[in-house]
Amino acid sequence: MDNIASHEDWKSCFSEVAPRLLLFARQWVQSAADAEDVVQEAFVKFWRRNHNIENRALLYAAVRSIALDFIRRDKRRARREATVFAETEPAMEPQFEWDDETQSALAAAVGSLPHDQREVLILKIWNELTFNEIASALEISQNTAASRYRYALANLKKSLQPQ
Amino acid sequence: MNDFPELENELKKLRPAQPSPILFERVEEALGVCRAGASPARQPKRLPYNWLSLSLGLAAAAVLVLFAAINLERRQEQGEKIAQNSPAPETKPVSPARRDGIGGSTSSNRFVPAGATQVVYNTRDEGLQFARGSEQPLRRLRYQTHQTWQWRNPTTGASLRVSYPSEEVVLIPVSGQ
Repeated sequence: MDNIASHEDWKSCFSEVAPRLLLFARQWVQSAADAEDVVQEAFVKFWRRNHNIENRALLYAAVRSIALDFIRRDKRRARREATVFAETEPAMEPQFEWDDETQSALAAAVGSLPHDQREVLILKIWNELTFNEIASALEISQNTAASRYRYALANLKKSLQPQ
Repeated sequence: MNDFPELENELKKLRPAQPSPILFERVEEALGVCRAGASPARQPKRLPYNWLSLSLGLAAAAVLVLFAAINLERRQEQGEKIAQNSPAPETKPVSPARRDGIGGSTSSNRFVPAGATQVVYNTRDEGLQFARGSEQPLRRLRYQTHQTWQWRNPTTGASLRVSYPSEEVVLIPVSGQ
């Protein structure tokens, strides 16, 4: 990932981070449209407050905070999301694009990860945040972030192994 | 520490879905056109005062004060002219000779009415009412007007104009069908 602070304007910056922010937002909201609402609000708020664009942890924390507010605003949605978040239930599938259908199994496996592991995995793999940044964005310790990441990879490997 | 390099590489091949083009338009709209080209990382820290706005405001205030002063001066000059012309022929005692028709030439400072206008700029219907002792309803209309009277001195060509706002209430009888 390029250093996003080197971009001259918000458009190039946003075009780079938007897909990743959307993927992250999809951890809380089901539809892509809702995720776009969350990302829009978070990015605009972040940009207007003149935060340093290099502070990615703050940007992702803003997305997370607004997504949680979004859920709270609609109790019915909150109940639905709570059902989705329950670890016994299959989690929602993150939105990916892939070149061949063999990768769809991997995408489905990511979607079936427990929520806390999946959000760390998404921040680490597709957003390239450090464990320190992940810990800051999710308000957890760095060790917790690292262990959740390892658990996520182990669970993925396990689910992809032939039965 | 990392036991899953191959799996990580496979995961990185999955690309997050692209946002809809409308999202960019919505963000642009939300950010506003004025800030579209500016990067906050490159913006200088805000000064406690916006000196550009402050200086523009002071300049505008100075221009307004200047215009007001010029306008006041002109009004004073006009007032002096009117004061000089104000001994109108209507108020000036006519000389006995002229009253008798002897030597009755037009005085050089005599002003004659040259025109009158009345511009109604607002009409308000204040509803129906009954006048005292009358059984017929009356519609009360209030006209707000601007009247202008003009006099001209045919000898010198000087003119005098007086404008003032006025208000008129008219009662119109309403006849039942």
